[in-house]
Amino acid sequence: MSEAVLYRSVSFSYPGVRRRALDEVSLSVPEGAFALAVGPTGSGKTTLLRAANGLVPHFTGGTFSGRVVTGGRDTLDHAPRHLADVIAYVPQDPAASFVLDRVEDELAYGMENLGVAPAHMRRRVEEVLDLLAIEPLRDRSVRSLSGGERQRVTIAAALAAGPRILVLDEPTSQLDPQGAEDVLAALQRLVHDHGMTVLIAEHRLERVAGFVDLAIGCAAGRTTVGSPAEVLERIDSGPPVARLARMLGWSPAPLTVREARAIAGRSVIVPEAPVPAPDPFSPGAALLEADGLVAGYAEREILHGIQLRLFEGEVIVLMGRNGAGKTTLLRCLAGVHRPAAGTVRVRGRTPRPGVDIALCPQEPESVLYCETVAEEIAVTLRARGVDGRSEDELRRFGIEDLAARHPRDCSAGQRLLVATAAMVAGGPAVVLLDEPTRGLDPEAKAGLARFLRSVAEGGGAAIVATHDVELAAAIASRVVMLAAGEVIADGSPMQVLGDSRVFAPQMTRVFGAGWLTPEQVAAAAVPV
Amino acid sequence: MHPVAWIVWSAAAGIVAMTTSNPFYLVVLIAAAAVVHSSHRRPGPSSRSFRIFLLGGLGAIVLRTALVVFGTVDAENAAAAALEGSRLAALLVVFGTFNSVADPFGVLRLAPRRLHEPALAAALALSIAPRTIAAVARVRQAQELRGIRIGRLRSLTALAVPVLETGMEEAMTLAESMDSRGHGRGRRSRYRPERWEVASGATAIVSGVCTVAFAAALLAGRGGLAPSTFPLRWPDVSPLLVVAAAGFALPGFLPAGRAA
Repeated sequence: MSEAVLYRSVSFSYPGVRRRALDEVSLSVPEGAFALAVGPTGSGKTTLLRAANGLVPHFTGGTFSGRVVTGGRDTLDHAPRHLADVIAYVPQDPAASFVLDRVEDELAYGMENLGVAPAHMRRRVEEVLDLLAIEPLRDRSVRSLSGGERQRVTIAAALAAGPRILVLDEPTSQLDPQGAEDVLAALQRLVHDHGMTVLIAEHRLERVAGFVDLAIGCAAGRTTVGSPAEVLERIDSGPPVARLARMLGWSPAPLTVREARAIAGRSVIVPEAPVPAPDPFSPGAALLEADGLVAGYAEREILHGIQLRLFEGEVIVLMGRNGAGKTTLLRCLAGVHRPAAGTVRVRGRTPRPGVDIALCPQEPESVLYCETVAEEIAVTLRARGVDGRSEDELRRFGIEDLAARHPRDCSAGQRLLVATAAMVAGGPAVVLLDEPTRGLDPEAKAGLARFLRSVAEGGGAAIVATHDVELAAAIASRVVMLAAGEVIADGSPMQVLGDSRVFAPQMTRVFGAGWLTPEQVAAAAVPV
Repeated sequence: MHPVAWIVWSAAAGIVAMTTSNPFYLVVLIAAAAVVHSSHRRPGPSSRSFRIFLLGGLGAIVLRTALVVFGTVDAENAAAAALEGSRLAALLVVFGTFNSVADPFGVLRLAPRRLHEPALAAALALSIAPRTIAAVARVRQAQELRGIRIGRLRSLTALAVPVLETGMEEAMTLAESMDSRGHGRGRRSRYRPERWEVASGATAIVSGVCTVAFAAALLAGRGGLAPSTFPLRWPDVSPLLVVAAAGFALPGFLPAGRAA
């Protein structure tokens, strides 16, 4: 048996939905492959992954035709629990899938169900604790973990059960760049050294393109399979090096920084550093001033004295490893969390959340409750006492055509934009976004970038906390780096990102500090 | 503390609450439960649900007493109704304590195969209260950031709809996760079987003894278990039964050991 997962003419539609989520999908994921499913939200990626272990259709209902054979077993004849010994599925949102309280118990849970002998379980638990570098977390309650820690624990729990096939839905979405690289490297080791088969879905292609050997391009329920280079060539977005290749006509497109350097070396000449733009960015008045911020929670102090200025027209990208204090800082700036010491002033006064300054928290979809997207925006406008039109607010994100749709009928990426729009509609000039890029496909990310530009151009300012280095390279006028509750870097993207090994965007890694986006490089490149 | 010890404790305390409507015993029982909660509560939303159950208990007393308006309204009737409400309040507090000290899924792992499905349903049901409470806090805060103050009836949909939807989604995700990881598929093994330490044994035994005391009093018709409010006077109190009710506080003074 050389196929780990085989899809034979699989078609599926969710109950009550006419449109097919999967449309005559026939493909095979060979044993030992590291496969990537790529495509916009709503294209069927997640459905494809969930069909591998039988969650589709056993847990979803709906209309299913064709066959999925996983590890030699037909998923129609085997419920997910009867496939648990050959395949493990790691969902997008780890928090809701934890069963037990303690991390160590959670790791053992799958093995208990499979009846693994206790001595064997002990060994395996130790192994995955080391593999995912989570040994210090073993006694912690799962509820006390940060987003990145939760993601690692979920992956470790899936691995502990010892399946041959591992399916992960956006496994690095909550991880900082280093953490993402560690997890992907661990997965690659499992594939190369232990013959595991890994199938992942991921939007941030710059993180994974170099690791995978098989790509599945998804669009409207149909799939195309090929090498990563082949598949990424056909889709609009790809890692920055691939986008650059398309602009400069390189073929085949490079997928990694290393490949790009090799091609660039012999194809183009690029100046040492970009010519500074004729209109250097000059910020306006100071909209927000934070001084000596000390804040934390009952158990411990998170921020140890933060000083920050935000000027009109700026978009600050706030970066830092998981747990550095980004969310706490945003909450203090928004006036939601009272600092133990220090002051925050927005336009010279203590900020009133929602009035002077708008904060969009992580996972904002939980605020949606209206029948249409337009109504959601209208509710916020009314609540803030602002005269405005929903359509105008939606246009800032490029989603005005969703106005009449029910929020739940939108794709996940669209829903995130709708929720973000609902949180900041008609709002004040200062906008704070906490991890808005999680779960955003490239198209939705473009909508977000559009909104941020409109804020800056309109005389407002924004602070965006994110792990997305490429987004920072594209839209930031300033980058602030947080570590252990202190600001350790504050400067232009060129200075901060260019100087960092971990946070450097792909263009910087290929062409040197100063180069941030493929568009920038393409404009200055001279063919050899 | 072994999860079965908590089950024994809760069942015993519940039975005791059922045997009597004497406010003295019930108040001692409730206090005992509060002691146990404060020393053994697990971190996270489940311990906050204790407060909700406590408030629910108070609400039960008030509501039950208010129902008197449908009949003759006098002190005797009101007192009788209040006593009935107190019994319900004690049950709610015991349940809230169990919810906060015992991990329902830790208990679920011990369920025999035959009882697996009802045990799973019970575990999911038990986890709903803490999850819903956490969701309410999250959603309320997020809506406030939009400027929507959840207070009046009209804005209740802004709270209720997301909370219910989130609750449903979380329950589905949890069920999927459990099934994907092989729950209920066959013979299970135990990672680190909980040992019956002294604390667990003592809790179980003392709970049993206290229950026997109340059962014996019930059968013998003594101890003022069902005080009459006609005429209205202070009920009889047996010091022995007060001690028996207080016995339920024992786990509160025992070490937690490895969190179950």
